[in-house]
Amino acid sequence: MDGHQQIKNRLEPVIPEITDWPIYKLSQDRDSFLEEAIAKTIDDLLQSYSNAAVLHSELKSVLYQEKNRLTKEPWKSDTPEERIFWSEIKRQILLTDKLDEEKKKFKQDKKILRSILEYYSLEIVANFEPGKYNIARRILPFLFSRLMNASPGKKLKFLFGSKKTIYDKFNITGPIDHIRNLSKKGTVIIVPTHFSNIDSPTIGLIIDIIGLPAMTYGAGINLFTIGILSKWLNDLGAYKLDRRRKNKPYLELLKNYSTVAISRGAHSLFFPGGTRSRSGQIEKKLKLGLLGTALEAQRQNLLKFHKDTARKVYIVPVVLNYHFVMEASSLIRQHLAYEGKEQFIPEKDDFSTSYKLLKLIFKVITANPGMTVSFSSPMDVVGNEVDFEGNSINNIGQNVDIKDYFTLEGKMKEDKQRDNVYTSILGEKIVEKFLTANTVLSSHLVSFVAFELIQTEFKNLDIYQLLRVPVDEIEINIEEFRVKLNTIKEKIIDLYAEGKLRVHDRIKGDNDEIIKHGLKNLGVYHPSLPLLKNANGNIITQDLKVLYFYRNRLIGYGLEQHFK
Amino acid sequence: MDSSNTLSKYGVIGAGSFGLAIANLLAENGDVLIYARNEQQVKDININHLSKNYVMKEAVVATNDLKTIPAECQLIFPIVPSNGFVSMLEDIAPYLKPYHVLIHGTKGLYTPKKISGDILLRKEEVFTMSELIKVKTGVVRIGCLAGPNLASELAEDQPAATVIASKFNEVIELGQQALRSSRFQVYGSNELLGVELAGVLKNYVAIASGMLTGLGYGENARALLITRGMAELIYIAKALGANEKAFLGLAGIGDLIATCNSPKSRNYRVGLKLAEGKKLDEIIASIGEVAEGVKTLQIVKAMQKYGYRAPLAEILYKIVFEGLAIKKGIDFLMRFSSDKDAEYIVS
Repeated sequence: MDGHQQIKNRLEPVIPEITDWPIYKLSQDRDSFLEEAIAKTIDDLLQSYSNAAVLHSELKSVLYQEKNRLTKEPWKSDTPEERIFWSEIKRQILLTDKLDEEKKKFKQDKKILRSILEYYSLEIVANFEPGKYNIARRILPFLFSRLMNASPGKKLKFLFGSKKTIYDKFNITGPIDHIRNLSKKGTVIIVPTHFSNIDSPTIGLIIDIIGLPAMTYGAGINLFTIGILSKWLNDLGAYKLDRRRKNKPYLELLKNYSTVAISRGAHSLFFPGGTRSRSGQIEKKLKLGLLGTALEAQRQNLLKFHKDTARKVYIVPVVLNYHFVMEASSLIRQHLAYEGKEQFIPEKDDFSTSYKLLKLIFKVITANPGMTVSFSSPMDVVGNEVDFEGNSINNIGQNVDIKDYFTLEGKMKEDKQRDNVYTSILGEKIVEKFLTANTVLSSHLVSFVAFELIQTEFKNLDIYQLLRVPVDEIEINIEEFRVKLNTIKEKIIDLYAEGKLRVHDRIKGDNDEIIKHGLKNLGVYHPSLPLLKNANGNIITQDLKVLYFYRNRLIGYGLEQHFK
Repeated sequence: MDSSNTLSKYGVIGAGSFGLAIANLLAENGDVLIYARNEQQVKDININHLSKNYVMKEAVVATNDLKTIPAECQLIFPIVPSNGFVSMLEDIAPYLKPYHVLIHGTKGLYTPKKISGDILLRKEEVFTMSELIKVKTGVVRIGCLAGPNLASELAEDQPAATVIASKFNEVIELGQQALRSSRFQVYGSNELLGVELAGVLKNYVAIASGMLTGLGYGENARALLITRGMAELIYIAKALGANEKAFLGLAGIGDLIATCNSPKSRNYRVGLKLAEGKKLDEIIASIGEVAEGVKTLQIVKAMQKYGYRAPLAEILYKIVFEGLAIKKGIDFLMRFSSDKDAEYIVS
């Protein structure tokens, strides 16, 4: 594992002055930046429409969808101005209908398209205020460290607890110097796994701790429903996405927003899985849309600039690991419902307002004795490894020029289909890196072993039948558990030696300690505990589905086969 | 960037009968540089425009310096037998760049493991040629060429067609521009693995077809073999993660019909001679070129525990390698029935 580091202190910022940060510059050049994104979107859209009539019907369908959104799925974040805007668009579209010349119609429609995109762009656009950022970077670590020092029963005292620093609680590993160096040479795209709503504040804080400048990232518009948090996130550089909108001009604009930001050097953060992993398993299929913008930005920079000055784009997968995922219960139930085998109405995942989210964050941080953040080695946009200086090294160890991947007959050529294939290759590489950077915690290990033993016990049941077994039918003999845990632990240590995953230091230690620590920390704040010991010292569960969620964290390494 | 690379010159690696036929097809659309190991063959092509009884077009120039191929050509067609494929890739890899496009025409499988009687192979231990290109070189834009393309018929300028498969449309289009002519049609497919497996797996069915002829059987038996063989190939391909679509196209059923009916097919000739009572070693020696079907059969058998049932491959293996009498083998196959016809379509 290249240059593996463990971070114990806040690192010096790579760029000391916030006003020199790319995200700040982007915010300063807001008008020209938005204009570039809009112009590119108009170009892309017009290219995709075979004739003027298609544009016209697209505009009508956008209008129709927007009206539907405002009436059928209204959110608090919707403003009264929106209705006025769309009424005006309607009036304009009717005007087009009245024009008799095709040329004039087309011109009018292009004008409408532009005003819709301008309107969207002002809604999407992020702001970045250094003052607010400085406040956040002071408050957040304070909250995290205070909260994480609190232990159950001492809630009131948490603000005055021990003096352990936040760095003792975070276990940050990976080639940090390498990533810092690349952030000076090019644009870094952080792509983390996504399990919980607290992933964004966690990764935001970690990025600051390792001294990287703040990153642009897209936040769902529902997070902006309550004033203060909304304004805050926006001022910290988050751009807004409204998941209700599915129309093509909007989606194209979002993509181009990201593409132009990256090509202008703004380091970015995406959750490539799209949403939180429902099953608890590390993402296997990624959403390629946003990832594709990294590739496109890279290609455009190569086209625009000489190869020695074109900023390179680097992809850094990150795995976040917690002992406790607050939403585990609703996530796994949604997963089972999605798979279509469980008869139930999905519960609403109730963290949709800022207040509830903040409450969640507090609770989760309090509950987690430690969080593990594992950075993997960086790649270029087609999935090659890159060396310390940022040069691409291909699968057989050759130094390669990224430009050659887009070149034919000595010329760079744009080819969307080719881009899509490269992006899916990149997606596969990210998934591989997720698996190798995943860090096994004691709670993962105990939940995996326990669940597999239960599954062996009920081997005639399929997974859906198994999950419906009443929990009082389940008891795992502690001796059997110890033996199996040791077997799996040894397999995990072997995998670790081969570089196929990472382990927390505790995993290398005493088995009884692992069991004790794992049981103590696995999802402790769930109302029904996924694992606990009964009076006989044997292991039982109060919620098999939640246990299943945590167990899934170790899927993808073939460890299941040791139970057959 | 080496700007001397242009697509008006096509590279071919391997000067066997299929490589020569492809070189001649390419020569209709541009200059061709072909690599041949044998110096005499290089001279024959460059001076007499003749090779192995094939008349070569004047636009085809031969070399025995492998590295001149990637230096001068951006689109390269490697067409060497599967047992020489890895060493060829290792030789050429240092000269390949990500701007190169490789479309191979080798219908074979490769495994780094030594194949012996009872060995079991895992999926990760068996490679198609495009998978080999992917792991052994830095080239990403990869495609394959498959279809009913008997070299001797191509050499006679008879009309024919082929399929180019690649994940990249760009690769398909380049291949089409390079190969298309008034007597050669080129179809495209994105099912790279499916097309490769279709081209590879059909080879052992061709061996069985040759046997039927050798036994004096007629077209009922052959039609039975082809249709049931086809079903078996689809099961294997699906188990290996491919889509069955390619099997209903030119590279699948098209190639199967051609090789199962043609005495010009090497695999067919292997079967014919086995039915005449010849030993495998003598047959291989007498045919001269490699019959890929024999190795494919070994690999398919070694992977059989992998979740598919391939009765034809199983029996054929026993006949070819373990001396089972052909008639006995056929008896067994006739008793092995599945009662539904073309069930792979609905499954």
